[in-house]
Amino acid sequence: MTAAASVSEPIADRELVITREFEAPARILFEAHSKPEHIKKWFGPRGWPVTLCEMDFRKGGHFRFQMTGPDGEKGPPFGGEYLEILPNQKIVYDNGFEEPGSEKMIVTVTFDEKGGKTKLTMHTVFASVAMKKLHVGGGMEEGVNSGLDQLEELAAALVAKERS
Amino acid sequence: MVAQNVGHLDLVFSALADPTRRAILERLAQGEATVNELVAPFGLSQPTISKHLKVLERAGLVSRGRDAQFRPVRLNAAPLAGAAQWLGDYRRFWEESFDQLDEYVKDLMQKEKDHDSSSQRK
Repeated sequence: MTAAASVSEPIADRELVITREFEAPARILFEAHSKPEHIKKWFGPRGWPVTLCEMDFRKGGHFRFQMTGPDGEKGPPFGGEYLEILPNQKIVYDNGFEEPGSEKMIVTVTFDEKGGKTKLTMHTVFASVAMKKLHVGGGMEEGVNSGLDQLEELAAALVAKERS
Repeated sequence: MVAQNVGHLDLVFSALADPTRRAILERLAQGEATVNELVAPFGLSQPTISKHLKVLERAGLVSRGRDAQFRPVRLNAAPLAGAAQWLGDYRRFWEESFDQLDEYVKDLMQKEKDHDSSSQRK
């Protein structure tokens, strides 16, 4: 998993797009992205709220988040820099774990409002195919996923056994 | 479980990226084994298996017994649990975040409405 690998890997192999339509104007969605008090209310999977949330929400500013799980276990801190901010339209930032040499993904969030509804598009470009696989799973690579799925089940079973 | 740093997670994931190593872990999930017991079912040479075991050991996924002659290999579950948390979680992470954002923007809009109507009453 070298950072150099990304140079020759086409973006199409490293990107992921997630969209969602909201019954809300773009400015409200943008607002929800712009302050810690809001981020803490929605960011992250259920049961894993953001408990550390430092944001300097402007171009060139940095953010730093950490989530805490249901058993009080802390996830690894992560963060990055705001690369571009267009109020109510677009936020671009890079994001990675706080670790020397850790790869960064570049995330572009766009808010597209029509008739009071807003389509949010989240476009992520991972630094390398390996990084994408790490976060998204192999998909194309038969076997890798099923192997990892089995391992995931195995891990869950083992952890349950350890706790009982 | 100890919090894992990301460098460690990288080691875990690169260890898991190889089908032989995953198969070794699946075999060890059923109980410890000596290197010789691992060589047989995989049809690989002992040096190859040993190389795979070193990678797994560096990632903390297996540990080796002290018995000098056999040094049985055991599975360690904890790093797997950490890895499982991050496996293929990206999409789910955001789908759940957006579910919560959906609820939250309704709150924000309600607050805005309440605020507007109260300021109009002045």
